[in-house]
Amino acid sequence: MKKGLVVFALFLLWILLVYTVIVLPPMGSPENPTNTHIIPRYLEKGVEEGGAHNLVTGIILNYRGFDTMGEVTVIFVALTCVLAVLGRENILRHTSKAEVSSVEKSVIVKCVVRFLAPFIILFAFYIILHGAESPGGGFQGGAILGASVIIITLTFGFALVAKKLSLKYRVLFESAGPLSFFIAGMVAIFCGQNFLTYLLPCVAHTYQDFVRHLLLIMVEIGIGVGGGAAISSIFLAMEKVEKE
Amino acid sequence: MLRSLDVILLVFLLVTAVGVVRTKDLLGASIIFSAYSFTMAIVWQQLSAPDLALTEAAVGAGVTTVLFLITISRTVRREDE
Repeated sequence: MKKGLVVFALFLLWILLVYTVIVLPPMGSPENPTNTHIIPRYLEKGVEEGGAHNLVTGIILNYRGFDTMGEVTVIFVALTCVLAVLGRENILRHTSKAEVSSVEKSVIVKCVVRFLAPFIILFAFYIILHGAESPGGGFQGGAILGASVIIITLTFGFALVAKKLSLKYRVLFESAGPLSFFIAGMVAIFCGQNFLTYLLPCVAHTYQDFVRHLLLIMVEIGIGVGGGAAISSIFLAMEKVEKE
Repeated sequence: MLRSLDVILLVFLLVTAVGVVRTKDLLGASIIFSAYSFTMAIVWQQLSAPDLALTEAAVGAGVTTVLFLITISRTVRREDE
């Protein structure tokens, strides 16, 4: 009886899903709404409405701002889950696994990392800040920022990174992504606009573009720093081993 | 010329994708997966999507490979028992 009920419910669900697939517009057809309305709108007005010369950044921060906010929150939740399972590293109790391993690190690796690490970090910030004009943006720059922390930890050990990037500040950096979106959204609400509107009518007309650019850059920095801090925190949590 | 580069990249992509699944050794598989990500980054660039290429190179080839390697180094192999 129970089994039959389950099968019947699944059959109903199947019919519903098949019906939905049948009434969907045909795949790849030029008459689809995505091809007749959305793409021309993006191509014609994307730069003007998005406020960024790089169309991709304009779309993901403006038209799809809620989507990007969700993505940033997902990264934050992932970090929270990793820390809940593995726990934070403690500089007094833990050391990195690379440090206690018997493989000796070569001089070449140390020299190259010491020479390149500042440039990698600089490049990461360039990508974050230049995301509105050229390919790149918060997510990409954040990943490079996290990668720079990873190579420094692997070559110079735990103590240096844990001291320079102490937990006190890292907690703030990790929440920078959702926080920057929240601040940008609330600014719009206080101006009487919808959440995540960047073009604010309460600002003088000549400064509107400037303020919008400022908000976009703030959100980009938030995404980048938040993503980088999340990646490095996940890495440090996975890399730690107990000191003996 | 560019067309042949695309064909080579796509064939290499297929070979590495099958290689990741077929390799028994987890360390080898994660290194092949890193090669797959790098090829994918170049393919994105060829499809004129530089934003995605940057993401794929930084996240796919860089960060995930490191996280895979750490996970492998912290777990034991079941087959060795």
